[in-house]
Amino acid sequence: MAHVSVPMYWRTIPQRYQMMGQKCKKCGAVNFPPKGVCKYCNASSEFEELQLSGKGKVHTFVLIGAGGAPPEFADQMKAGGSYPVAIVELAEGPKVIGQMTDVNPKDVKMGMPVKAELKKIYTEEGVIRYGFKFAPDLEGK
Amino acid sequence: MTAGISGYNSYVPRLRIKKEDYAKAWGSFQAAGVSEKAVMSFDEDALTAASRVSKRALESVPMAPAKVTRFAFASTTAPYLEKLLSGTVLVNVGMPNSAFTTDHTTSTRAGTEALVSGIEHVKASPGGVAVVATADAPRASMWDPLEHPMGAGAAGFVLSSENLIAEVEGYASFAMEHFGERFKPAGEGTLQDLNVKKFFASAFTTCTTKACASLLKKLGTKPEDYAHVVIQQPDAKTPGSVAGKLMFNDAQMASGLVSVNLGDLGAASTTVGLVAALDAAKVGDRIIMISYGSGAGSDAVSLKVVSDRKPVPSFKDQLEKKEYIDYIQYVKLKGALK
Repeated sequence: MAHVSVPMYWRTIPQRYQMMGQKCKKCGAVNFPPKGVCKYCNASSEFEELQLSGKGKVHTFVLIGAGGAPPEFADQMKAGGSYPVAIVELAEGPKVIGQMTDVNPKDVKMGMPVKAELKKIYTEEGVIRYGFKFAPDLEGK
Repeated sequence: MTAGISGYNSYVPRLRIKKEDYAKAWGSFQAAGVSEKAVMSFDEDALTAASRVSKRALESVPMAPAKVTRFAFASTTAPYLEKLLSGTVLVNVGMPNSAFTTDHTTSTRAGTEALVSGIEHVKASPGGVAVVATADAPRASMWDPLEHPMGAGAAGFVLSSENLIAEVEGYASFAMEHFGERFKPAGEGTLQDLNVKKFFASAFTTCTTKACASLLKKLGTKPEDYAHVVIQQPDAKTPGSVAGKLMFNDAQMASGLVSVNLGDLGAASTTVGLVAALDAAKVGDRIIMISYGSGAGSDAVSLKVVSDRKPVPSFKDQLEKKEYIDYIQYVKLKGALK
């Protein structure tokens, strides 16, 4: 993720804080993050808002180690070591990229159930950018 | 109108540091009775923890966030000194923008300030639903032994007049002027303390005993009527020092003494203790919680358990799910090396 200006971040608060997705009125596919044109049928820009559950499973993941972290995540890497970034297949269908959290990187497995939680993503211009990361879905167990 | 707790839960960060690691670094660990403490990760703060417990508390009822009419947030370690804090949690949890929100932040009494303000809302507004989120990870300079007991944790509650787990029987407060103990002057980032232990002991004793005594008098209850007693835990010994004066015993304090494993939870000290006590309580049990905030003041709240409905994950499950870090990792995560 490169630099995202404060106003650009404001406009994406529904997707970053609440995982608000969109359902294509033409083909019914769920887009997340929201798009201008449906990325599945490429034929419609008409959507209805859809509140995603935040639940899904790890499709695949990678560990970001020394030197691999983008500048906004460099401090996190320094303080906490390598961190896992996953492609998560959400219960509603879309695949999204996000950091894994509340887990030892060694315990991340493909197929593990996860749930989106609000975390600090990074801090820029003195502003804390909150958003979701994926934690192991242990609640209810 | 009856008001009480319809749902609750806690959040305990998975990272822990043992007292032995402090002793290795500093020669001693100055947090009486604390054996290990919880630590927030690099990507957490009081607001992310408050979001977590708000959602967990609502799920435990279960109740839709859209029904909430009042939200109160409490912490002594808010990520901003000026900026609305409760709005972040409100939006993330999906509570209505029209709910009246408040931020309680200037002393470790903030947790019960938020709780009492939620109770008052429910009593005053028919159909009202309050969510109270208390989350804290108190911090001080690593050079200061004041830092040793400081842990991390959060507790959230849904308060309403229906579907109750515990009924709030009453509450009482005591506030006075007292200075020189645990204070952060405006414009200075770190917590300070003039370290006059006797002054602290006298303020702590005065506030907690006066608030407790006036509540017992108001309700006509006796110390032995309470199965669970939760008193502010700046460490794991201090609450015991006033319990005797209030005629409470160690057995009554056992279920809510969370500082032994989590450290000083600041504004979330008595609220996380309350969650542990509620998890352990049986129908008919009475619980009393007595907070303390430097400066100084105390709130005492009396509850009666009316349902054995328990939330998941339990407090105990979270206590057992942990991963240890050493002191160097701790200092890095706290951002103390910058």
